[in-house]
Amino acid sequence: MPDVVANGVRLFYQQTGAGPDVVLVHAVTSNQAVWVFAGLPEAIAADGFRVTTYDLRGHGASDRPPTGYTSADMAADFAALHAALGLGPALVVGHSFGGVVALHAALLHPDRVAGVILSDSFFPGLRHVEPNYGRPNVWVDLRETFGKVGVELGETVDFAHLFRSAVDLTPDQAKALDDIYGAVGRGWLRQLPRLAETTCGAEVLAEAGLTADRVAAVGRPVVALYDEFSPFLATSRWLEQHLPGCAAEVIPAAKHLAVVENTPAFTAAVRRHLARLAGRADGGAARG
Amino acid sequence: MSPDQLYRDLSTVMAAAFPDRDPPEAVGPDTRVFADLGMASIELVVLGERLEQFYGRKLPFGPFLAGLRSRGADDLSLGELVAFLQQHV
Repeated sequence: MPDVVANGVRLFYQQTGAGPDVVLVHAVTSNQAVWVFAGLPEAIAADGFRVTTYDLRGHGASDRPPTGYTSADMAADFAALHAALGLGPALVVGHSFGGVVALHAALLHPDRVAGVILSDSFFPGLRHVEPNYGRPNVWVDLRETFGKVGVELGETVDFAHLFRSAVDLTPDQAKALDDIYGAVGRGWLRQLPRLAETTCGAEVLAEAGLTADRVAAVGRPVVALYDEFSPFLATSRWLEQHLPGCAAEVIPAAKHLAVVENTPAFTAAVRRHLARLAGRADGGAARG
Repeated sequence: MSPDQLYRDLSTVMAAAFPDRDPPEAVGPDTRVFADLGMASIELVVLGERLEQFYGRKLPFGPFLAGLRSRGADDLSLGELVAFLQQHV
């Protein structure tokens, strides 16, 4: 069945394949469709893994409680989902904020996480090493797009402001943004106002106990997949320097959403690292 | 199963899965799920689950959705969806 109640919240999930567990965790304002439409769950399942994708609380087809949107809250959701589904120690792939959730879960629930693959994650606890903190290219793009319809999002990342702005759009502004985002992107736009009903915007960039020292103390293998034009390459370098055995790799021709922007390269890298972390010398990516 | 029956099934499943959505006035093979029905990508994932429940069998819906992007399509027609169901139901 596609729903599970975890940590008091109904979460929508999907599973495919059989074998050691892999869990995919999406970013804030996204949902698991980003993995499905890229074909990643099926590609990983073909390598002999059981792949679980789910929608974070407040996102996609999961329930939307008013509070509980820090990475610590989401790590508790992950652990509860992991327990409810009876998963084994999982290799967790997280995009952006999903990677923060994955790493936080590895710290708080090490028995449930066998390893973490980060895709372009920014850590609030590492903001002191990140010159692009608050002004990543994706926010600049977003600000420019909203600016075209007369909505000012501000210079620095402010999810709460984004969500409120989506609520306050006039019909003309909403129509103009619909036209810009097109038939598929419209779905993303229309879920933003729903997040304004929650504390997500205020909490998602909270450190929530995941300090730099705690990040460095993670006891599970970590892979840092950062995009060639990522705003967070300083974070990648820091992780490589401070986490023993951290493997870092650059995904070419991508700027924050490699699974969409360069699906073949991202998929190949994930498969290769999953095979390595699972102790398989051959590596699934070698087969395509 | 006939296409007519599959269209009726789709209509039943979609009405149950998305009760808040107004039923479209007229649909046909060329009706697009994103542009015409206003569905979001996650709703297609949900629809795949509901269709599996309806027919009581696993459907290769994930590869079907992934195939959209890999062939550069920016939408999905109900005709394509029905053809997929004809192949797998």
